[in-house]
Amino acid sequence: MKNREQRDLFPGALEMMILRTLKRQPLHGYALAQVIKRTSNDLLQIEEGSLYPALQRLLKEELVKADWRISSTNRRVRIYKLTPAGAKHLEHEVSRFEKMLEGITRVLAPGES
Amino acid sequence: MKWMKQLFLRRRIYGDLSDEIQAHLEEKIEELVRRGMPRKEAAAAARREFGNVTLTKEDSREVWRWPSIENLLADVGYGLRMLRKSPGSTAAVVMALALGMGMNTTVFSFVNALLLRPPRRVEAPNKLVELWLHNRVASGIQGYLPLTYPDYVYYRDHNQSFTGLLAFDGDPEPVIWNRFGEGQVVQGQLVSGNFFSVLGVNAFLGRTFLPEDDQTGNPQPVVVLGHSFWQQRLGSDPQVVGKSLLLNGTNFNVIGVAPSGFAGLLVAIEPDFWVPATMIEQVTRDSGRLTNRQAYWLLAVGRLKPGVDATRARTEMNRLAGVMEQDHPDTNKNLGATVFPAALVPGPYRGYVSAFTGLLMAVFALVLLIACVNAASLLLARATGRAREMAIRSALGAGRGRLIRQMLVESTLLSGLAGSAGLVLAYWTAPLLLALKPASLPITLRIPLDWRVLAFTASVSLFTGLAFGLTPALRSAKAQVAPILKDEAQSASYRKSRLRSFLMIGEISTCVVLLVGATLCVRSLVNASSIDPGFDTQRVAVATLDPGSLGYSEAQVRSFYEQLSQHIGALPGVSSTSFVNHLPLGSAREQSSAIEGNRSAAGQKGVSVDVLRVAPGYFETMGIPLLRGRDFIPKESESSNQAPAGAAIINDAMARKLWPSQDPVGRKIRLGEDTGLEIIGVVKTGKYRTLGEEPIPLVYLPRLPSRRTLVVRTSGDPTALLDAIRREIQTVDPNIAATDLETMQQYMTLPLFPARTTGLLLGASGILALVLTCIGLFGVISYIVSQRTHEIGVRMALGARRGDVLKLVFGHGLAVTSIGLAVGLAAAFGVTRFLSALLYGISPNDPVTLLSVSLGLALVALLACYLPARRAMRVDPMVALRYE
Repeated sequence: MKNREQRDLFPGALEMMILRTLKRQPLHGYALAQVIKRTSNDLLQIEEGSLYPALQRLLKEELVKADWRISSTNRRVRIYKLTPAGAKHLEHEVSRFEKMLEGITRVLAPGES
Repeated sequence: MKWMKQLFLRRRIYGDLSDEIQAHLEEKIEELVRRGMPRKEAAAAARREFGNVTLTKEDSREVWRWPSIENLLADVGYGLRMLRKSPGSTAAVVMALALGMGMNTTVFSFVNALLLRPPRRVEAPNKLVELWLHNRVASGIQGYLPLTYPDYVYYRDHNQSFTGLLAFDGDPEPVIWNRFGEGQVVQGQLVSGNFFSVLGVNAFLGRTFLPEDDQTGNPQPVVVLGHSFWQQRLGSDPQVVGKSLLLNGTNFNVIGVAPSGFAGLLVAIEPDFWVPATMIEQVTRDSGRLTNRQAYWLLAVGRLKPGVDATRARTEMNRLAGVMEQDHPDTNKNLGATVFPAALVPGPYRGYVSAFTGLLMAVFALVLLIACVNAASLLLARATGRAREMAIRSALGAGRGRLIRQMLVESTLLSGLAGSAGLVLAYWTAPLLLALKPASLPITLRIPLDWRVLAFTASVSLFTGLAFGLTPALRSAKAQVAPILKDEAQSASYRKSRLRSFLMIGEISTCVVLLVGATLCVRSLVNASSIDPGFDTQRVAVATLDPGSLGYSEAQVRSFYEQLSQHIGALPGVSSTSFVNHLPLGSAREQSSAIEGNRSAAGQKGVSVDVLRVAPGYFETMGIPLLRGRDFIPKESESSNQAPAGAAIINDAMARKLWPSQDPVGRKIRLGEDTGLEIIGVVKTGKYRTLGEEPIPLVYLPRLPSRRTLVVRTSGDPTALLDAIRREIQTVDPNIAATDLETMQQYMTLPLFPARTTGLLLGASGILALVLTCIGLFGVISYIVSQRTHEIGVRMALGARRGDVLKLVFGHGLAVTSIGLAVGLAAAFGVTRFLSALLYGISPNDPVTLLSVSLGLALVALLACYLPARRAMRVDPMVALRYE
């Protein structure tokens, strides 16, 4: 069974969004899901659960790290934080994505041949 | 070492993950509740938004794994648990498969030992080729000849293809080793001086031969000992180099010991020692063989030079053969040369060996097929039983591939278990088969279970596992989830039982083919055993002796045999003794051509006859009836070899051929160079070359060479006599030992060997097939009955009688059986033709065999149906209906 995320997003997109969000501030899983949903104005259909395999992949690549903390709401949560390697990876991915987007936009742009 | 850390941390990671997801859900629920949603609804909503929790966990965990291997391990663990759950059927399937695979492994281990295994201890055996002469006008195996010594020397000295060309005697030479004044028979091999150096074999002790040891005109009496001979017979004497052995009356200097495991280049022959070929006169007393251009006795093997392949070598050898043909037109006419890749079975014979072992492989592959069908139908039944489990797993998100893999893992586990058991089986049966070999054959065949056999069994296991597991796996993965979970499984089972019926038809027809083959072979064996060889096989003991090989004079030979006759004749129970130059039905043969003596016109074509040389009393001892005239008298056999022979006795077949309506006694014949032989008697015709032969004309002559076979007739058990005969030979002359001391019955295992082995193996395959088919049929019918319990209950509740139920169940079994029989008989009709060469006195399409196999199988099949049918009859409608 493939994750739905892969049907709606291109591979690596979720990871990129997670990294971008974590760059702004360290977050725990639930918060991360809410932030992504909110900032995308609910335009992207993402199952909250699909976040976790992506997080595990990032953890394994050591692009993020995680610590158990007690949150402001007095809840035991696992906070994810970007590592320097993660920041570098994000930069690289974003520039790659922008190039790709530019390419796609040019192709899709009407009447400019 | 990151992966190691991950491996150990994994349990904690998984724990964290569960906690985290749990926390996520709780936080979500709380938030929803805060917004005013009832808690119960909030929980459902949280889950909905989150997605499949289990799948998320699995996917997350998978990140940390080597997914394929770990999933496989999980599947294996699960599969093992499933197999342990139903130990009975697991054991049945494993045993059936193990029998099939065990027999296949056994046959393959023979194929491996004979055809695949390279000679041991030899350097780069793939660079070696065998050189054979090939008669262009002869056909088949008769066309291939080993080399004569002059041929060998020519090829050795003139070829450009080989770094060296070695040669060795194709037959092991039995030699008397005189030790502490007592003779023992050992096996030696005559080899060229470069034998060891071309093979790249270094001595374990001392040195191997040098070309100087093997020079015509100046042969050196030197010997290289085989490693096991040195270990077992000489107690691993470290000082053995420099000592001498008295072999056939000549002292040979031990110059070295061969490395352990090296046994030359021929399958099944492990020489005790090697001597230079030029020493042949001292070993065999055959002085002319080195110059004889018609004695084909040397197997030649060359090592290809770098850059030369077999094709180029063959071209060159043919060119050299052409030169020889021009130089010696009288002997080398039509003789070309060819090369084969060197292997333990000589090139020309390889085809026969592979055809025979191929037949056996095919037969046991069929047995394995039957076992596979059984396993497949059991798995199908189990798959139906597990449809619910599969549906649940599928509903929980298990992919189709995952389910198929799970089923395949289980079937491969079964076959893997069976393969291991089969290996154990092969380990025991291979030596058992070897025990069928006649004791008189001086061969030691090693059947190692080496990596090739292991690889074969492993791949057969894997392949059968996939073969019988695939159909059930595909079926169960295809199952519709919803109907099964809703308990509507009934409809699906019919199609499954139809598939099983097809499988059964295949199984029964395969079984018919095997049974027909087996019955034919067994009946042929019975026929062959009951053939009258023309002499008594019950109360006779035999022993082969050759005092001439020790260099004895003609007078010494005669005195030895005279004394031996007296000693043996005096033993209790012995009624008569005599001698023959070689026993009938053995490998030795003497042929000549006979012409009726009175009209010795030039150019007259003679009758081709076999010749046996016998002492007085031979016919009485062997129990061969004298039809007319008289036996030889001592005077006729004692006269010196130079004087004309005088008397001859012929067999009935010869008498009919030359004098169809007259009494041959008193008439004269010319036999080869012997003229004026008077016929003094006629004896009954027997079998001389093979048991299946047509009557062959044969002439008995009264004079014997020094190599003879002693035949002794006793009134008691000849086995008890063997020790006494050995003792008497020792008493008369301690230097002499008998080579083949055995009873006539033991001797007769030799001509029956091929028929007996085939009969036994095919018989075993037939019985195996029958048992497996019955188990399969029983299983299928039982299964169908259990599936239709509900239906039968309804029928009975509606008024069906027991007879009707019986008809219902039996009808199915009967239909399957009769279709299977028809298909099988048609197939057997086509297949048994391949057996005809092995059959004696029975047609491959023998109607009695076909009929009795059909009847027998039908009967057994019906019996296998009866038990489940009876159970079906006893179905209590109330219980059956309540069951659902």
